[in-house]
Amino acid sequence: MSPETPHAETPARNEHSRGRRLASWQEHHRWSAAASLRRLAARPLGSLLTIAVMGLALALPLAFYLLLGNVQRLGDALGQNQAISVFLKPDQAAQQAQLLAKELGARPEVAAVSVKTPQQGMDELAKMQGFSGAVQTLGDNPLPYVLQLQPRSDASAGALAQLVTDVRTMRSVDLVQDSGQWRQRLEALLGVGNRIVLILASLLALAALLVVGNTVRVDIASRSEEIGVLLLVGAGKAFVRRPYLYAGIWYGLFSGFLAALLAVSIEFALAQPVARLSRAYDGQLHVGGLPPWLLLAVPLVAALLGWLGARLVSAWQLRKAA
Amino acid sequence: MIQFDQVSKRYEGGHEALSQLSFEVPTGEMAFVTGHSGAGKSTLLKLLGLIERPSHGVISMDGRKLSKIRHSGVPKWRRQIGMVFQDHRLLMDRTVFANVELPLVIGSIARVERGRRVRAALEKVGLLAYERQLPATLSAGEQQRVGIARAIVARPALLIADEPTGNLDPQLALEIMGLFGEFQQIGTTVLVASHDLPLIKRMKKRVIVLDHGRLVADLAAQEVL
Repeated sequence: MSPETPHAETPARNEHSRGRRLASWQEHHRWSAAASLRRLAARPLGSLLTIAVMGLALALPLAFYLLLGNVQRLGDALGQNQAISVFLKPDQAAQQAQLLAKELGARPEVAAVSVKTPQQGMDELAKMQGFSGAVQTLGDNPLPYVLQLQPRSDASAGALAQLVTDVRTMRSVDLVQDSGQWRQRLEALLGVGNRIVLILASLLALAALLVVGNTVRVDIASRSEEIGVLLLVGAGKAFVRRPYLYAGIWYGLFSGFLAALLAVSIEFALAQPVARLSRAYDGQLHVGGLPPWLLLAVPLVAALLGWLGARLVSAWQLRKAA
Repeated sequence: MIQFDQVSKRYEGGHEALSQLSFEVPTGEMAFVTGHSGAGKSTLLKLLGLIERPSHGVISMDGRKLSKIRHSGVPKWRRQIGMVFQDHRLLMDRTVFANVELPLVIGSIARVERGRRVRAALEKVGLLAYERQLPATLSAGEQQRVGIARAIVARPALLIADEPTGNLDPQLALEIMGLFGEFQQIGTTVLVASHDLPLIKRMKKRVIVLDHGRLVADLAAQEVL
């Protein structure tokens, strides 16, 4: 060291410009990020296990989300025709059917009404597999006039339920078949499913946070001597904590990528069976995957979780060490 | 100037390590703190490093009361002093250079300046050729010199050393003490806790003698025989 007296110097705070201090701070961030990555690589098995546990925990809600999304699409495909079928009594003639169609078509919750004649019904039945022979044996056409009510898309469930009740009480009506009801039940079930996925995702995110927290806790415990030295030579808690926070971020980021990869794999695994199902429904079903924004968000959210887990544990551990 | 004014330290459990200790060390002076094991030497240095806080009394440096330094201000205080320990406290997985560089990294000193200061400190302790080596490859004396280089690299106003020659042979111990003497000559206040009386006598510096936490003698350099 050059023979400079210590007292001839101004304090460190004044000695360096803010810009240089910022550069040094950035440098320590870079060093911490690289050092924490090297520490992860130095014990590959432990790191991989932690990442695998976190990745699986995060992939599970993604898989459920994927499943629910496809059930929703299945419901959409099957429930495109939400028509309410109104079967008139057999004695009702074409004129009464047209009058009733006009009356129901005037209701605000009804978008359109079509009249299906008994002959049209018979023709449809004859086209259906296994029914052509049976139809030929019939003498008179026993089928009634049927009105197909197409509800407005913005009609509330309550208004539609009232429409069905009103139509059922009409004298000329024999039977009302509401195909929208099952759809409502499916919607309700999907709502429950979505809530379950949300709860599951929260619990598994907490589990991921605890996994990172415990890993960082062990890491800090194994480096207590180093931390002691750093504190003795003047390191603040933020300085000491930084590499552990980066470790948490790395764990989160890698496990997030793993979770996204697993979700995409599940999507590919489901593609073929769903395509078969789609063909069975005249190709109306479209296989839906996870949106790209979600696949990108998962590693970022996981990195945030990792950082949070490391932050909580390191704050607690360093308070003890200090 | 370091001032101890009626300073006492009682640990949890009731053991009184220091009792009403009062003395002053002027800026740029080197003094030894000696006494038998348990006399309170290490406690005295821990109080200066804010590793411990006094139970009673006031410690001040250049008029600044250490008791006024809050917990959050401790790192900044420690960056202004240099500490040397008997067991070196080096990071064994980092090179000699990285160990010495540590206080400068913590102090946000720019990289180029760090390199210059670290090499200057290593040159001072005679270890410039070892900068890329790991501490484990060095002898005990060399490791202690790395610890000293780390303590002085940030050019502290106060250097405290707790039994820095405890594990060294007499010749090495004398060399290390000589280094401390050199830092004193450039204006650093140096406080060394040691129970090695023959070595202390050879250094001919002020000696503060403790016994059961009490100051029993305060000998000026010329009084040390």
